[in-house]
Amino acid sequence: MATLTRQDLNFGQVVADILCEFLEVAIHLILYVREVYPSGIFQKRKKYNVPVQMSCHPELNQYIQDTLHCVKPLIEKNEAEKVVVVIMDKEHHPVERFVFEISQPPLLSISSETLLSHVEQLLRAVILKISVCDAVLDNNPPGCTFTVLVHTREAAARNMEKVQVIKDFPWIVADEQEVHMEEAKLIPLKTMTSDILKMQLYVEEKTQKT
Amino acid sequence: MDDLYLDNIDEFVHDQNKIVTYKWLSLTLGVHVNTAKQMLYHYLEQKRRESSGTPLHATYLVSGKCVENGSTCHKVSVVREDKLDAVKAKMDVTVSVHVYSVQRAELKDSSPLYSTDYDAVKENLKNCNKYSAIHCAAAVPMSSVELQRAQEVALVTPVEKEISKPHLNESTSATSKPSAKQPSGIMGMFASKNASKSQESSKEVKTEQKDDSALVETSKTKPASKANPMSNFFGKPSQKKVDEKPNKSIKEETDGNSATSGTASMKRSQSSPKSEFAIKEEQSKVSSALKVESKDTRNKSKRPEVLDSDDEKMESQQKKRRRIKKPQPDSSDDEVVPDSPPVPNIQTPSPKKQVKRESVSHQEESSEVKRRKRRRVLKSHTFVDEEGSFVTEKGYVSESYSESEEEPEPNSKAKDSSSLKQSFGKREEEKKEKSQKKTSAANKPTKQPSIMGFFQKK
Repeated sequence: MATLTRQDLNFGQVVADILCEFLEVAIHLILYVREVYPSGIFQKRKKYNVPVQMSCHPELNQYIQDTLHCVKPLIEKNEAEKVVVVIMDKEHHPVERFVFEISQPPLLSISSETLLSHVEQLLRAVILKISVCDAVLDNNPPGCTFTVLVHTREAAARNMEKVQVIKDFPWIVADEQEVHMEEAKLIPLKTMTSDILKMQLYVEEKTQKT
Repeated sequence: MDDLYLDNIDEFVHDQNKIVTYKWLSLTLGVHVNTAKQMLYHYLEQKRRESSGTPLHATYLVSGKCVENGSTCHKVSVVREDKLDAVKAKMDVTVSVHVYSVQRAELKDSSPLYSTDYDAVKENLKNCNKYSAIHCAAAVPMSSVELQRAQEVALVTPVEKEISKPHLNESTSATSKPSAKQPSGIMGMFASKNASKSQESSKEVKTEQKDDSALVETSKTKPASKANPMSNFFGKPSQKKVDEKPNKSIKEETDGNSATSGTASMKRSQSSPKSEFAIKEEQSKVSSALKVESKDTRNKSKRPEVLDSDDEKMESQQKKRRRIKKPQPDSSDDEVVPDSPPVPNIQTPSPKKQVKRESVSHQEESSEVKRRKRRRVLKSHTFVDEEGSFVTEKGYVSESYSESEEEPEPNSKAKDSSSLKQSFGKREEEKKEKSQKKTSAANKPTKQPSIMGFFQKK
């Protein structure tokens, strides 16, 4: 099959689509597993041929979709370094940070017909790992909230502030306290490597959560 | 067996934080499933005795007889450890209890159990039952020739069912969308049948068959009726099986496929459609085998009559014709279907039914969850069968059972007709073919469509 380069924007869009779909599922699953929201709002849906829990709450879904819609252009241009889902307690101190480190190889090559099914398999494994992550994490205090941070380059960040991808959905520079966590434990969860995408998922967890 | 496996399981569970199900363990270590179950049990016992380190969680598979809503049923469910005693107490007779999985995490829902097995089974698809305890000597993978024949057979029976649908639709109220679109009369049925054909190749074949309608017409009704009694023959007992006492082996199979934690009823409802599909598969295999045997030269003579077929479709067309004609001589099969009406006089192209069935089953298989919702909507359509009363009953049943999928027989038939109706509405504008036969085939069990879906899914 053809070897496509990054200049082939179509392919970049494909990767961004795949990744954003995956991140949406992953965020929903993190919210379910870490009990950020009551489990009643989640229903079982199918993704990558396995059941996953997705929320039914329209505003929550809209928020997550808008968030990822803004992240997508960054991923297309390979400017997003990390996407972080931060879970914060009532005082807005982060207690857990699920970090998705993303990198795309500069020379993307689709060399195999089974590429996408292979990627699907890898993503399925990441989903499975998120489902069992509560074995290695302590329980969160009640009343947690979450937010999504994106680590990107300076220029891209300024662009994002200037150009609102979605109206009334501004992105702002994150507070220092949300970005850095004191006394953090690092727990690696999963690494995936494929031709089109490399991703590492780890959790930074606060040692003392309450 | 040495104790190395204990270390293996320990590594899987603690170091890799994996969910170790018995099926995954048996595929990974290459041991029989019963051995794997015992391994997990011993591991659990040992760890519990030591009572050190991180807590382990386990899920169990419980199966037994219980009485629900006044009817005895065989329940198989995957339950968490804390609910194990409660579930066991609820059952009259506990047939088997064994460890299903061991993991560190306390699982909130059963999705990870399924995900764990998914990749392991997918890799070993050809021999995923190598270590299984379920054996059937007759279950041998079909050769490609047999596979093709089975596909044709499956196409024949759906068409028969579809043919009856337009008749039903015509007589229903205008609320039914597909029925509303159908012109009245037999020609209208034909036209609507044609219109509702899907774009599948079989449909194109049928278009061409329409061109040769004169030739095919005579044969179509009989094959359709033939297929229907045949499928009925398999449908009824198999449906009963599913309904009352789900085959334990099938359930165990579905256990592996879709583990459900929590309530047993949920498990049953989930497994019953799957066991239904499994039974449909068996049914199609047997019916195809029977059809293969009764080939005659008449089919071959019909081949040259296929005029407009493409080269690609030639063979499938011919095979389809063969299928349609086969049931002709075997009119003695009617007796196996006690309540099936006599062979209908009106001829309808059985291929149409095939197509509809195929599309139906394809739809069924493609999005099961969505299908259920759709079915609920469509179930509100009641269709009256001009031929026999039991289709009418099914129409009613479809309404009342719209919420639960626990009754496969009425459900499946309702689903089939409802999904047929939907495909009807969709394809109405696409092709025109004669629908010739209105048969009791409409009432045939809906097992056949799902078989095609099974093949198509592959």
